[in-house]
Amino acid sequence: MPVRVIDVRERVMAQNDLIAAEVRQRLDDAGVPSLNLMSSPGAGKTLLLERTLADLAPSLRIATVVGDVQTQNDADRLSRHTSRLVHAVVTGGACHLDARQISAALDAVDLADTDLVFIENVGNLVCPASWDLGQTSDVVLFAVTEGEDKPLKYPKMFKRSRYALITKVDLLPYLDFDVERAIGYLRDVNPNIEVLLTSARTGQGLDEWYDILRGHVRHASHVAAESA
Amino acid sequence: MHEMGVAMEICRIAEQHVGSAGARFLTGIGLVVGDDAGVERSSLEFCLETLLAQPPFAGAAVHISPEAGDTLRVDYLEVDDARPSH
Repeated sequence: MPVRVIDVRERVMAQNDLIAAEVRQRLDDAGVPSLNLMSSPGAGKTLLLERTLADLAPSLRIATVVGDVQTQNDADRLSRHTSRLVHAVVTGGACHLDARQISAALDAVDLADTDLVFIENVGNLVCPASWDLGQTSDVVLFAVTEGEDKPLKYPKMFKRSRYALITKVDLLPYLDFDVERAIGYLRDVNPNIEVLLTSARTGQGLDEWYDILRGHVRHASHVAAESA
Repeated sequence: MHEMGVAMEICRIAEQHVGSAGARFLTGIGLVVGDDAGVERSSLEFCLETLLAQPPFAGAAVHISPEAGDTLRVDYLEVDDARPSH
């Protein structure tokens, strides 16, 4: 028979997920946690990282991988707050980061001299949710200038995230944003999600954010030491 | 929005399997796409049609089976070993 069918049954993401697993193993072996920050454009990922680097970089060795469709403006902004590497990934039109890009970026990072890796994903609430990067945890941000129902509109992103940061809360007096309703929608989509109310301008909620980061650093180094 | 990246990965998988099976021409791709896979069906079809019209392909049909959940899988390939080259 000249015409035949080849049985494949291969997941489309298999190659990406394989590389993501390698990234995860590298980070686990080094005892370095990694947080993948995702949001729509303009929710405040870069400002949160700027503030975090300014406040924590003296005590924590933080490496950052920043994805943008075009320009390395965000990487330039972050570089002002740390002497350590800020790796810019310009995706050239792609709407998300993938595991191969993170793996290549980590090749330039001395993980033995690093406590924490931030990945700032491309601003987009849809596509990044489909790509595993090898991260320890996902963090989704949404600003009070967006609608309370963002979790309902983009459930996949909110389902996979461990933390949700409701950002720009210093603007609440000027908006009709209903915080309780937003938290309710978050819990509808993901009952286990940890919610923080933050403002990178005023510093509100950042102590709690920093405690979470320090907790991840302690836990990852403890696990790596145990398995060494 | 990321359908082109997904389509390129599907084509990579197809090319690899066609090569390892010693087949000559790819005539069809069978996909399983879950309703929660984050992929828009018509957009994926458009991207695949574009890619499959270019070498090393010569226009293969795309068959998409919907499914519940987040499955995104290349299920099977149809090949024609007798199709003449052109």
